[in-house]
Amino acid sequence: MSVVLRTQLAGVGRRPARLLLTGLAVLVASFVVYATVLAQQITERSVVGGLSGTPEAVDLVVQQGDVRFADVTAVGRLPGVAEVAVRTEAYVQTPAGDLIVSTDPGSGPLSTVTLSQGRYPTAPGEIAVTPRTVERMDLRLGAGVPVTVGEGGKQTLTVVGVVQPPADAGSLAYGTPDTVGRLTGGDWVDRIDLRLDGGGDSSGVRQQVVDLFQGREGAPEVTTGAQTRLAEARAAADEIDQLFIVVRVFVAVAVIAAGLIVASTFRIVFAQRMRQLALLRAVGAGRGAVSRALAAEGALTGLVAGLTGVLAALAVGHLIPPVASAFGSALSGPGFPLLEAGLTVLLAVLITVLAVLAPALSAARVAPLEALRSAATTGARQGIGVLRTITGLLFAAGAAGIAALVWSRLPGPGEPYNSAETMMLGVVASGGLAFVALIALGPVLVRPVLAVAAWPLRRLGPVGRLAVGGVGGSARRAAAVSVVVALGVTLVTGVLVGGDSIRVLATREAAAAAPADFELRGPTGAALPAAVTDRVRQSPDVTRIATYRWTDGVSIGTMLDAAATDVPVADVPRLAELDTVSGSVTGLAPGRAVIGQIVAELDGLRTGDEVVVGRAGRQIRVTVAAVLGGQAPLHTGILLDAADLTRLGMPAAPTGLLADAAAPGEDGRTAALRSLRAAAAGQPDLAVAVLADQYDQINDALAMVLAVALALIGLTVLIAVVGVGATTALSVVERSRESGLLRAVGMSRSGLHTMLTTESALYGVIGAVLGLLLGVPYAWLAVSAIGLDAPLTLPGFQLLAVFVVLVALTALAGVLPARRAARVSPVTALGTD
Amino acid sequence: MQRQSAPVTDRNGPAAVAAVDLVKVYGAGDTAVRALDGVSVGFERGRFTAIMGPSGSGKSTLMHCLAGLDTATSGQVLLGGTDLTQQPDRVLTKARRERIGFVFQSFNLLPQLTASANITLPLDLAGREPDPVLLDRLITTLGLGGRLGHLPSELSGGQQQRVALARALVSRPEVVFADEPTGNLDSRSGAEVLALLRDSARDLGQTIVMVTHDPGAAAYADRVVMLADGRLAGEIHQPDITSVTEALQSLAVNR
Ligand SMILES: Nc1ncnc2c1ncn2[C@@H]1O[C@H](COP(=O)(O)OP(=O)(O)O)[C@@H](O)[C@H]1O
Ligand SMILES: [Mg+2]
Repeated sequence: MSVVLRTQLAGVGRRPARLLLTGLAVLVASFVVYATVLAQQITERSVVGGLSGTPEAVDLVVQQGDVRFADVTAVGRLPGVAEVAVRTEAYVQTPAGDLIVSTDPGSGPLSTVTLSQGRYPTAPGEIAVTPRTVERMDLRLGAGVPVTVGEGGKQTLTVVGVVQPPADAGSLAYGTPDTVGRLTGGDWVDRIDLRLDGGGDSSGVRQQVVDLFQGREGAPEVTTGAQTRLAEARAAADEIDQLFIVVRVFVAVAVIAAGLIVASTFRIVFAQRMRQLALLRAVGAGRGAVSRALAAEGALTGLVAGLTGVLAALAVGHLIPPVASAFGSALSGPGFPLLEAGLTVLLAVLITVLAVLAPALSAARVAPLEALRSAATTGARQGIGVLRTITGLLFAAGAAGIAALVWSRLPGPGEPYNSAETMMLGVVASGGLAFVALIALGPVLVRPVLAVAAWPLRRLGPVGRLAVGGVGGSARRAAAVSVVVALGVTLVTGVLVGGDSIRVLATREAAAAAPADFELRGPTGAALPAAVTDRVRQSPDVTRIATYRWTDGVSIGTMLDAAATDVPVADVPRLAELDTVSGSVTGLAPGRAVIGQIVAELDGLRTGDEVVVGRAGRQIRVTVAAVLGGQAPLHTGILLDAADLTRLGMPAAPTGLLADAAAPGEDGRTAALRSLRAAAAGQPDLAVAVLADQYDQINDALAMVLAVALALIGLTVLIAVVGVGATTALSVVERSRESGLLRAVGMSRSGLHTMLTTESALYGVIGAVLGLLLGVPYAWLAVSAIGLDAPLTLPGFQLLAVFVVLVALTALAGVLPARRAARVSPVTALGTD
Repeated sequence: MQRQSAPVTDRNGPAAVAAVDLVKVYGAGDTAVRALDGVSVGFERGRFTAIMGPSGSGKSTLMHCLAGLDTATSGQVLLGGTDLTQQPDRVLTKARRERIGFVFQSFNLLPQLTASANITLPLDLAGREPDPVLLDRLITTLGLGGRLGHLPSELSGGQQQRVALARALVSRPEVVFADEPTGNLDSRSGAEVLALLRDSARDLGQTIVMVTHDPGAAAYADRVVMLADGRLAGEIHQPDITSVTEALQSLAVNR
């Protein structure tokens, strides 16, 4: 072993805390990077799993073409196929309404349902229904259901079980292929799902399946399970690709954050290292020997820390689904992405080696004696050099330039937009550059923020003043720590602002599309029979009944063939949540109208403008009372006062009604639905829509996105806190001489403790301020660039909470190191070099 | 253990600080080092005393124990009648802040504070205002007038040590301890600092205890206490370089 390496290792042995802390930073960095990769997988799999009806075990899907019952057996016999499930469904009429009967194996990996009561059907004519179907259609266990199929064919089905489906629409039943085949009366099936033998050659089997249908007219498509799931998820939710982009952006940002943390941690070790290396060089150690020894040390640290971090992330990632299911939300497991694991460890090794070598190179550049001298004061060096200033300004200019470019290309509302990915890339690139600028210019930016933030602290006596002096006096160290916090705050802010925008978007869409629990209406524009309305009004199961008129064929300004409604805003509370760009929905009155966003954009209409509305040859002039952020209620373009709609020649009779369930929960909803159906009995044209179910679905999707966002926030906060903790701990280790001096000249233990904790809280304050200043604008830019037409919001209380929590956490991160420093006897501290 | 000891006195009345039978053992078992082996010595008020001895004789240890920076294994440290060895950390801290001043070999200024903030640091911690007359006088005597706004990194070694000296003196402590204060200085700056120490004892009546191994530095003192192997090994009054060097040499021969 070379003398140099021995010296290094002896140094490590003497001050293990230093290596532990740098190692810890690398460990946490690898943990966060790999955890984000796993989070991406969990999210993508869970979202796809939640939105697609295809089980994860399905390897191949045969669909969209001429597929028959006979093919199921043939496909099942192919070598390499472990199991097949046929999927097809029949629509039947029951006395309580339409029922969809689907096939499902009932158990095993290809099943989409779980049995909750009774047994799964085995014989023809037996069905299992979903819980909502039990309630809403009154199909109890053991009941016989007379059904009408197709052109008047009658059969009786028996309910033998209750099963939980992936999504319960309230009119679903399941049975064997036989049962469904008899109901459809045809030979055709929708699709066949295949599960292959483990380790089988899926493309080989796929070819065999394709060959099986060779030559048949309308031969079906054979796709992989993954393709099918993604396609189904896309069909279910347009926003899915945007969600994935956001999650991938997080992976990229996590890598940057990890690099930053490690860099800032190492920066503090630099000074110490410089001194040691300068000494080695001064006594004649060769540059090569020093570099090799350091590289070996760095590689070892990086390898151990990186591996540990990856393994820890893997453990946590695989713990999440069982924990989540204990809390009632279904998440998929992340799998074992080996390539990413290897890359993460490699990154850890690379970063560590570079970080350890950097001071060696600097030490080699300057004269040994110079290095020895300057090392002692590095921590306290003020300001930044010209080169660094120029670099910082260049990066800032680059960030601003890209941001401006993205800004200039933002889509208008309703405009076709398919460059979300590129635009988000631009946002991320700009943000990355902004952070490099922040790192370069940090020491200069710290002072003004500190000057404001520290004003009250200075008043708190010498300990406060010393803490402020300690932070401000070493602006470089303060900047290094604060940048990490700033990154964390930026990310959290981004998630909160983005999440808030999406929440508002969802509420807005829900308010416009589903303003009440139920809607009862006839075919387009037809009047609702007065008797039906009366029966609804007398029902004790429904409340907040609001009748409205709805008509299409309306012109608004230059827009032709729009729809209009006069739904009374005062009677439908949820309409108050409608997002307005300007004006207020309550401003609705005769001669005053509320218009949707698209209508407003088309003619450049604003609140107070006049617009001509026409229908059936009549025209009226109305003033715009409010412009909405999306559609007007009930998928219309304009919300008019009842008198105005009458002036347009609309008959007074309502065309539909909205109502809420009188009692809360599933039971209340079922009771209300039954009485609405009863009210509409004998009127086959009337349909009851359960808007509340849609509302629930939107909420579920939102909860899912929020859960993902929270998990990512957790990781971000973790990396910020650990970064601050490690840096504070290191700075305490590096500054134990200062601590000793303060104790020697009469600072009490608690005073020193308070001072150091306050210092790390100040790092938090500076970082949080910088983070908010960067995070909010970038979040807005990202929200606009993702192209969802989401509004830009500022969740003030949440951001304030983030600020307070982050500062508290950074203070907390400083508590342990501070306590350690305060415990050390002054003599020991003074002797430290 | 003897709790109530007679105040240790010297020729010039009661001592400002005194050690009674002081023992300090580092480590335990085979590796135990008896750094102080029953030292009893008093330091008179208003005088400049030097502690001398070969390297490793226990000078720094004695000073650290006298100053309440370190705890003794047994024996007493009397600071103006209080036994510091019996006090909790809170009292020691207060004593260091208000009754003791320090000058260290390696300057030990806070790098982020200006010279003037460093000077008033102990008073700041005590929540006291500096005596403006004394402060002015110190700054003038120490020649720091134009340097008060500078950070330590912008000062020379001699200037830094003078700042440390001002810090030690400005709170009018009962004792100022200095551990090899000239060890890191060139001879001219060293001579300046030593002269300042001597003058503050003479003119301000400041009690000063200085550890050194340099006979030239010890010659500035009113009295030299010799230490060898953790024990007292004689003393010299009104020392000069020759007498101190001779005493040191005889110590070396006796070993
Ligand atoms: N922290 C310590 N741990 C163990 N031994 C120590 C420690 N400090 C000093 N010593 C030992 O105590 C003896 C006296 O040390 P010190 O008071 O520093 O001597 P001086 O200042 O006279 O050179 C020496 O033998 C030294 O090795
Ligand atoms: Mg010593």
